[in-house]
Amino acid sequence: MSTHDLVPLERARAGLDACVHCGFCLPACPTYLALEDENDSPRGRLLLMGALLDGSVRPDDPAVGTHLDQCLGCRGCETACPSGVPYGRLLEATRESLLPHRPLPFVARVVLGVFANEWALRPALALARLARASGIAALAARLLPARLAMPFAMLASTARPERQGYEPQGDGSRGTASLLTGCVMEGLFTEVNRATERTLTVNGWTMRTTDGQRCCGALHAHAGDADTARALARENIAAFERSGADVVVLNSAGCGAMCREYGHLLADDRAWAVRASAFSDRVRDVHQLLASAGPVMLPVPAHARDVAAGAIRVAYDAPCHLQHAQRIVEPPLAVLHAANGVSLVPLADSDQCCGSAGIFNLVLPEVAERVLAPKLVRIAESGADVVATGNPGCLMQIGGGLRLSGSEVQVRHPVELLDESYARAQRPG
Amino acid sequence: MTSLAAELGRIVGDAHVIARATQLLVYRSDALPGLQRAPALAVFPGTRDELVAVVRALAAAGAPFVARGAGTGLSGGALAEGITLLGLHRLKRILALDPIGRTATVEPGVVNATLTRAAAPHGLHYAPDPSSQTACTIGGNIAENAGGPHCLKYGVTLDHAVRATVVLPGGEVVTLDRGDADRGDGSGGGYDLLGAFIGSEGCFGVVVDVTVRLTPDPERVITLLADFMRVRDAADATSRIIAAGVLPAALELMDQPTIEAVESSVYAAGYPRDAAAVLLIEVDGAAAGLEDDAREVERLCRAAGARGVRVAHDASERARLWQGRKKAFGAMGRVAPHLVVQDAVVPRSQLAELLDDIAAIGAQHGVRICNVFHAGDGNLHPNIPYDAHDAGESARVHAAMTEIMTRCIEAGGTITGEHGVGLDKLPYMEQLFTPDTLDAMCSLRAVFDPDRRANPGKVVPVRACREWHAAVAARPATHDGGGA
Repeated sequence: MSTHDLVPLERARAGLDACVHCGFCLPACPTYLALEDENDSPRGRLLLMGALLDGSVRPDDPAVGTHLDQCLGCRGCETACPSGVPYGRLLEATRESLLPHRPLPFVARVVLGVFANEWALRPALALARLARASGIAALAARLLPARLAMPFAMLASTARPERQGYEPQGDGSRGTASLLTGCVMEGLFTEVNRATERTLTVNGWTMRTTDGQRCCGALHAHAGDADTARALARENIAAFERSGADVVVLNSAGCGAMCREYGHLLADDRAWAVRASAFSDRVRDVHQLLASAGPVMLPVPAHARDVAAGAIRVAYDAPCHLQHAQRIVEPPLAVLHAANGVSLVPLADSDQCCGSAGIFNLVLPEVAERVLAPKLVRIAESGADVVATGNPGCLMQIGGGLRLSGSEVQVRHPVELLDESYARAQRPG
Repeated sequence: MTSLAAELGRIVGDAHVIARATQLLVYRSDALPGLQRAPALAVFPGTRDELVAVVRALAAAGAPFVARGAGTGLSGGALAEGITLLGLHRLKRILALDPIGRTATVEPGVVNATLTRAAAPHGLHYAPDPSSQTACTIGGNIAENAGGPHCLKYGVTLDHAVRATVVLPGGEVVTLDRGDADRGDGSGGGYDLLGAFIGSEGCFGVVVDVTVRLTPDPERVITLLADFMRVRDAADATSRIIAAGVLPAALELMDQPTIEAVESSVYAAGYPRDAAAVLLIEVDGAAAGLEDDAREVERLCRAAGARGVRVAHDASERARLWQGRKKAFGAMGRVAPHLVVQDAVVPRSQLAELLDDIAAIGAQHGVRICNVFHAGDGNLHPNIPYDAHDAGESARVHAAMTEIMTRCIEAGGTITGEHGVGLDKLPYMEQLFTPDTLDAMCSLRAVFDPDRRANPGKVVPVRACREWHAAVAARPATHDGGGA
């Protein structure tokens, strides 16, 4: 097999050369810890990538497929790597290079197809909401055998109790921001999106809407379908140029990490490279924006203290694409600290992946389950009432896992908890 | 699948036996990728019983094998050319932790830093702290008698292991202790067999579990960073500190190219990029009098020509200064795609002179040498980043390294402080030891592994071992495939 077929990987080769095989990535890799084979570690996968390039392993070798597919793409290795190996980019380049040699699994093709097409995505999400509202999801989660039940448990866990909104008061002094609403976030976590807009308003941002947004393309890029990811990126860039807000804000860690990569994704596209990196420069995570404004803490009036009095114990679990990909570590904690009525409890190994990883848990449920298992144990040990995490995949993976294990622990987005404390502060007496 | 693979699969499950060439690629090297030897088979037992059964199956088949922890070694010690690689990384349970008796019993695959993390709530830690401690295993530490920055004051692995259960290559499970231990049944005494086992580089047997001492965290720690405009001055400061009778917990030297690599990494520690060298010095112990020690260290550094001395003012700054040092080797990947790492010990009094010589050897061969090492112990780690695809450069690197090692031996030093001999330093053994000494080593090994099936071809050069030659001649090549 000539290496000419592996153009994207060939271009990323310099990143491979940075690896000195020190092995410091091993304990940071969730699949190495779960599967206990170095082929399922960053060092092993980098070596397979190198072997692909030097021709000693063929792209259709089942070992290559298995071990590269089994990577979550959590990038926990990147924050452990002293040499700065750009693992995430190498992984995507490898998957893109392998795509012509080995088609994606059926489930992956279906899901990616749905997310790339509005006409399929909207009805699919509407159907999911219907299954959730009617109780079918919760019922299926209870009755089906575990492996089949997980997707339904994930869906059921996205349900939110009815809440009264409030009129957010802010001076708009920090500038204009527009939310990339996202597919799953807007479809299944609508309340989180509204909470994001309200809390940002309270914290001095003027919110603008952006029409014509699409899926961010993260799922496609992670799977190696870079062409679809690029097409989606171009549409988003154009849409946010039209709406013209100072910053593009995201409350989904995975989508945010992708949007920051648009500059890299379109670097070779002469018509779009400059626009793409300008877009990426404008991307902010909601926790960053909130934390840079304080966040504002609103005192809870005496009559509304019933909930605040018994503070809920909240454990923060860091989404990999916030912690490792975007290196945003402290701001979500600042958001939780600012939420009245929240008492933070430590969560061991909170920087380890939960096994969600986009559609990984749908394509390789068995591996995802093994990665999730220690997370559920740590959550139980923490004594938390609520786990807070800022990514839809993690919210659903942990939420579904807790539901199936019979746990009462709730999973929420940090912004929801801040928003609820703001709502209590404004509750009329 | 061969019959051996099938047999091992019956013991550990087929998912934990690897026989495919492409899946064995990652097991062909440790953290010294310049040396690559692919195993024929890899097996990963998940329980103590599986481990013992695997070793017995290997014994029954007369098959040689090499034990491996996390593959973070730096001497090619865990390479299993054409034979079975016995991975111990799945044996990662802490079996007991006794905060009163201050000991822990662990399986060989427990990661060094994991043990310290488990001991932390009790105000204890596991003292040997090799730079790879976040990844390396206790079993590997036993095999290599691993050191680390804080071994200057606290001693090496040998000083912290109390007892080990090991499975000998023949399949017998035995308990080794320090000889002076009272076993509780009046049977204490005898030779320190555990001492013989520690540092045997996997040639004497495989650790099933090991009991180690846990050390109380010091009441107080002061970490200083002194920076120098000449490497020589930093070496001079080291000698002055030790001569003055101060015993720091650690005394580490990093030179400018190393500082540059670290400061460009995620582990940037705030080392001054324009310094020729920095010394990272830690004093610890009882709070009373510790500040006097720190002041004395600072005074001695300044007397040796330090430009500045900074004290870490909180735990997070101290952690950052240490992370930079410990990840320095990994950070070298930023300088060039490949790296040779050396490990030589020299008399501390000659440190400054030898550093000058090493620099001169580097210049003469046109290679770039980065120094990051345990100055307090006189344990040098000259690293040479290079591009292995460049044959000319590779040859120059090799020549420079050989010259450096020879120079260290001439100065009365030795060829390894903590990385082990493995495969990498085999050629220097005959420079360092007489044939009689090497023969004695072979005889000691024969006590534990008379068939020489555990990590064959490492540590003692085959050609230097008369007894081995006789055995090989008598029994034509069946299973000494790992011979160097």
